[in-house]
Amino acid sequence: MNEELNNVLDVMEEDTQKGKFLTFSLGNEYYGIDIMYVTEIVGIQPITVVPELPDFIRGIINLRGKIIPVMDARLKFKKNPKEYNDRTCIIVVDVLDLSIGIIVDAVAEVLNISEDNIVPPPNLNSGGRKYIKSVAKSNDNVTLILDCEKLLNENELDELMIANE
Amino acid sequence: MKKLMIVDDASFMRISIKKMLESKNYEIVAEAGNGAEAVEMYKLHNPDIVTMDITMPVMSGIEALREIKKINSNAKVVMVSAMGQEVLIKEAIISGATSFIVKPFQSEKLLEVLEGLTK
Amino acid sequence: MSNSFIDEPMTEAYVYETTQIIDTLEQLMISSESVGIFSEENINAIFRFMHTIKGSSAMMMFNDISTLAHRMEDVFFVLRENEQVKYDFTLLVDVILESIDFFKIELMKIKEGERPDGDNTDILAKVSVYLESIKGCSTNNEKAVAKQTEKQNKVNQTVKETGVSTKYFKANLRFKKDADMENIRSFSVIHNMNELVEEVYYKPSDVMENDEASEEIRKNGFWIICKIKEEEERLKNYLKNTIFLDSLEFNEIESEEYKQLTTKFQDKISTENEWNKNKNSLKEKAKQIEKKAKHEVTMSSSQSIISVNVEKLDSLMDMVGELVIAEAMVTQNPEILSLELESFEKASRQLHKITGEMQDLVMAIRMVPLSTTFMKMHRIVRDMNRKLGKNVALDVLGEETEVDKNIIEKIADPLMHIIRNCVDHGIESEDERKLAGKDTQGTVVLEAKNSGSDVLIIVRDDGKGLNKRELYNKAASQGLLNRPFEDMSDREINNLILKAGFSTKEEVTEFSGRGVGMDVVSKNIESIGGNVIVESEYGFGTTIILKIPLTLAIIEGMNIKVGEARFTLPIVAIKESFRAKEMDIIKDTEGQEMIMVRGLCYPIIRLSEFYKIPTQVNTYDEGILIMVEENERSCCIFADELLGQQQVVVKTLPDFIKRYKQIKGLGGCTLLGDGSISLILSIGEFDLSSVKEKYNNKEVKP
Repeated sequence: MNEELNNVLDVMEEDTQKGKFLTFSLGNEYYGIDIMYVTEIVGIQPITVVPELPDFIRGIINLRGKIIPVMDARLKFKKNPKEYNDRTCIIVVDVLDLSIGIIVDAVAEVLNISEDNIVPPPNLNSGGRKYIKSVAKSNDNVTLILDCEKLLNENELDELMIANE
Repeated sequence: MKKLMIVDDASFMRISIKKMLESKNYEIVAEAGNGAEAVEMYKLHNPDIVTMDITMPVMSGIEALREIKKINSNAKVVMVSAMGQEVLIKEAIISGATSFIVKPFQSEKLLEVLEGLTK
Repeated sequence: MSNSFIDEPMTEAYVYETTQIIDTLEQLMISSESVGIFSEENINAIFRFMHTIKGSSAMMMFNDISTLAHRMEDVFFVLRENEQVKYDFTLLVDVILESIDFFKIELMKIKEGERPDGDNTDILAKVSVYLESIKGCSTNNEKAVAKQTEKQNKVNQTVKETGVSTKYFKANLRFKKDADMENIRSFSVIHNMNELVEEVYYKPSDVMENDEASEEIRKNGFWIICKIKEEEERLKNYLKNTIFLDSLEFNEIESEEYKQLTTKFQDKISTENEWNKNKNSLKEKAKQIEKKAKHEVTMSSSQSIISVNVEKLDSLMDMVGELVIAEAMVTQNPEILSLELESFEKASRQLHKITGEMQDLVMAIRMVPLSTTFMKMHRIVRDMNRKLGKNVALDVLGEETEVDKNIIEKIADPLMHIIRNCVDHGIESEDERKLAGKDTQGTVVLEAKNSGSDVLIIVRDDGKGLNKRELYNKAASQGLLNRPFEDMSDREINNLILKAGFSTKEEVTEFSGRGVGMDVVSKNIESIGGNVIVESEYGFGTTIILKIPLTLAIIEGMNIKVGEARFTLPIVAIKESFRAKEMDIIKDTEGQEMIMVRGLCYPIIRLSEFYKIPTQVNTYDEGILIMVEENERSCCIFADELLGQQQVVVKTLPDFIKRYKQIKGLGGCTLLGDGSISLILSIGEFDLSSVKEKYNNKEVKP
């Protein structure tokens, strides 16, 4: 499955990536990431814990010699943790020169979503919702499109919240 | 495919010219960083066309031009010059330079000169 | 206008080469300044450097850079042509250095992917004024003579035997809009048509000596009338193939008209001899220029050297690091270890040797000499001497010492700061020096040398030195200390100048505010795993030693284990490791654990507590203590067990994490033989204690 998706990623040229989203699941919810951010999908790897970081940053992994931080999407979105299994995946994304792995329950598929089916998210700024850029409808499913840049760059805000807690 | 030799002490200029001729009908057979190198390379590679910078260390472009002309009186040499070098270009033409081009130039201009030589 | 061929590698090549030229130029300035004159070779070299910058920048369409370089080129053209010309050397050096600064700023912008939008008006005006001043001095009579000469344009009058029918032609050549130097192109046409014609006249007639003829040619075209004895096809073809030709009129005319026209052209005509004379004088002139150019300093044009993007080297090193690990994974594979395979052993030894050599080679590629960085310091001392009215000489030693490219980049700023401090605060004024019985000229020695796996960069001045009592009082009044003066070692007191917020100077000068920067210097040096040592003798000078690692990339490390986590300690920091008994441990009032070793007391850091790592090993007789030291300050680290010593390739923690938080004590990470990650500890960041005999002082943190 991962291999297939990785092949899809390899084959796709920049211009054919438009409107394509990699979808994954967290429990019953489906999320999408703009395919242009995604560089690779790997199965769960041994993770080295780095001290003094918030729990949603699980640590770092060795991806063929490259050291990449991994973030647990469940914890980031304040959901209950779930034990990793052989369906668990790490989606490696490259956003604004930062590489990071996102741990998800499972990857689903690469979806074509036309702009007509994308609507702005409900205006709720809690939990994982503030990382939702838009909401897409396809085949009776609702996919929450993630704002990758926000996901990786809102750390100062998070830190403030931690400090205030 | 015409064989071309680029002579310039500035590697930036050599890269520029190479870049301009990329996928055009010229094969860069040699590069030289001064006049003396150019003469040696000329003997070795016998290029159809030489682009020759004027101001270079060790041996100037004009001297190299004369040497090359001694080896092959029909050698086609294009002087690469800049504003303010009028006197030297005239001298180069008297010494047998086929044509000249003035920096800064773009690829179209360079190609026009080179094509003009092969007519 | 857009130059479609310009792309990133081109820009890179431009920036690289131009930067090199400018650096060489700057060094040339500094070295010439000490002599007080430009040698002939230097003038030629500078002329050529400016010429190259002009050309390349014009190609890149960086016009402000190009025009400034052009103007400078003009200055050196005058100097080159007129050896007698009197010029203000000091002013010229100033103007050139100012131009260099302009180039540097613009290049920096280009490097960062910005437009070089600097305004060269001011500096260009300065150069122009300078140019005028030397032009006035030079008696450029050549030009005047050239202008006076009768102008003529009859080229070839060798009237051949008649017999073939003679024909007359009139031609008008127009060049394309951007042909450039139309006069010379016209000249070229005439020059090469000798063999095709019997006789030729042309207009404008002064194409040889008047560059403004181009203007007329652009307006009216270049007129040629000629007499030929053969078929006109050859001539017509010849003219048609003129490069950059836009249009050609080519008509046969009657001999009557020809004669008329020749008289019309005649008023500007010179004799053939005059023409040849012109030709010869040109030849002479060009020869002179060439001859001069010949003696020039050779710039590296050698093709045996290539420049490589550092990123490529970084990834090459990563790959080699990977290879080393992969090799260990193969040769030390547990499935193979149990087998007795003689040829496999032999082959893997060979493999090990090769990977080892490869690693050394990759490291060597990244090593660059400190000379460029050191050379920059000359400029700083020069500028400061100028502005502060001081008299300080800079001696540079061991500049050929090599360090890793990444390190070079990190030490330039700290070094600059230290040098500034030395000149500004370290070295006294000439009067003060006289009073103290010193040479009026102060000296700063900048020296680099290898010392094991470190490089020492030493900045030594013969200035007034540090007054320890004053330093102590100052620090104490700022509440940085709570120990008596007598308790502190000289080094500890001297090192106070490295503390944040510490300043011995009330006023802050343009160049340095001491104390504002020295703590930053020390931080920067520590960030690359080095440290700063300050030595001073009051009245005789100060020495600042930067001890920096040869490379950031590979260290000899000791791997240790705490719970599931693995850490790597730099071997250089480890003094010893030992098992302690519970009864050796002392606790102070705050519960801080300490241990007495040979009469000295060391604080203990339990890594499992420090980083909150769950572990089964909690008692001292189960685990191990590792005594570490940096800058004469120590502590004991408590870990579960030692895993073994190994050379490790240092990797930085991912930017995402570094941006998130600076984790105390973590200097980076590395990959172990089994592919797992180990965190590298940076000893200097832990709360170390200066352990002194007799006293068990714990220094108070600022």
